[in-house]
Amino acid sequence: MTDDKDVLRDVWFGRIPTCFTLCQDEITEREAEPYYLLLPRVSYLTLVTDKVKKHFQKVMRQEDISEIWFEYEGTPLKWHYPIGLLFDLLASSSALPWNITVHFKSFPEKDLLHCPSKDAIEAHFMSCMKEADALKHKSQVINEMQKKDHKQLWMGLQNDRFDQFWAINRKLMDYPAEENGFRYIPFRIYQTTTERPFIQKLFRPVAADGQLHTLGDLLKEVCPSAIDPEDGEKKNQVMIHGIEPMLETPLQWLSEHLSYPDNFLHISIIPQPTD
Amino acid sequence: MTSREHQVSLCNCVPLLRRLLCDAPWRKARPLHALSLFPSKMAEESQSVLQLPPSSAAGGEGLTDVSPETTTPEPPSSAAVSPGTEEPAGDTKKKIDILLKAVGDTPIMKTKKWAVERTRTIQGLIDFIKKFLKLVASEQLFIYVNQSFAPSPDQEVGTLYECFGSDGKLVLHYCKSQAWG
Repeated sequence: MTDDKDVLRDVWFGRIPTCFTLCQDEITEREAEPYYLLLPRVSYLTLVTDKVKKHFQKVMRQEDISEIWFEYEGTPLKWHYPIGLLFDLLASSSALPWNITVHFKSFPEKDLLHCPSKDAIEAHFMSCMKEADALKHKSQVINEMQKKDHKQLWMGLQNDRFDQFWAINRKLMDYPAEENGFRYIPFRIYQTTTERPFIQKLFRPVAADGQLHTLGDLLKEVCPSAIDPEDGEKKNQVMIHGIEPMLETPLQWLSEHLSYPDNFLHISIIPQPTD
Repeated sequence: MTSREHQVSLCNCVPLLRRLLCDAPWRKARPLHALSLFPSKMAEESQSVLQLPPSSAAGGEGLTDVSPETTTPEPPSSAAVSPGTEEPAGDTKKKIDILLKAVGDTPIMKTKKWAVERTRTIQGLIDFIKKFLKLVASEQLFIYVNQSFAPSPDQEVGTLYECFGSDGKLVLHYCKSQAWG
């Protein structure tokens, strides 16, 4: 029988086959071939696309190049959202490979944050981890760590080193023996059909009577429209890392096993595909 | 309109300013001069700032005093204050209280308590503080929650308030340099 720890590896090593094509409007000195890459679900676009950038810059003039940005079917892709989240939310019902368009001009200031350097990605990543721990442990665990431990978390992600990352991250997945879970569960629920960027609220993994709250309990409380009526047809998919966990799954278990490296559960609510 | 003219026009405003209650379960005494932030995104339009109380006590979440707000700050780039529009009932338009605290040698805001729309982003808040403190656009400003993490610039203050607010307000520390890494 599969060990729970295997789930951690499966999540970490998830990949999305992607085809990068240069936008037609970009000026090139010769034809730009598309570039194929397996993207890590748990990472960030600007962290893993150096080769993509180099590939297209080879056919462009220096003066036509400014900050790279990515777009899928007209939607600018936020680099500060994990790749797997972007795919699940925007493209999971389409055929593979994921077709992403690459741009080097007309940066959409209103839709995207700038990514001036790898340091910016690190700062964002560490901030998310700190926010998650503020919810889980009142920041006690992450604050007790040394600077080198924080560095190890980042290096583990950047270099795709599962063991290096989890040597430290396992401490963030612990909780006091007398409790049954974290203080609050770090989660964000995304839908393309609403105005708001995501739903994030305080939610305890354990009820007052000691019962473990489930994914279904969470949705009922913070996003009731996501739950399909029992007798009606299935309208929505509740997706994490490309799969639909059963709504009966305990939230504490999901948080420990299906969180992204930033320790958040990034959950997509998408319309059920009609095919 | 310059900051200076802006401040002068504020002094000429009707002195009694009372703010719409946020959905805190209890009331606290608020400074009379606590003002609402006007949205920085709509600085080009003349933003209506005069607000009427919501038509329903949204969800009965302890909304007691809903006195109308009388006049107020104008958007920096326009001279006229247009008459108010009714604030739509509903969560996204309600305001939350933010308390701003300076870190290190960063200048201290004279007004520290602000009522801010839930959908205001951290970037919007940063832009506002920089204007208020007369910082140059190129100067950086960092905002921290719980003195531990710097939320993403596109994060909404309403969500931060939900998760990290206490005693009916969200305390945010601001700093010209990185204080908590």
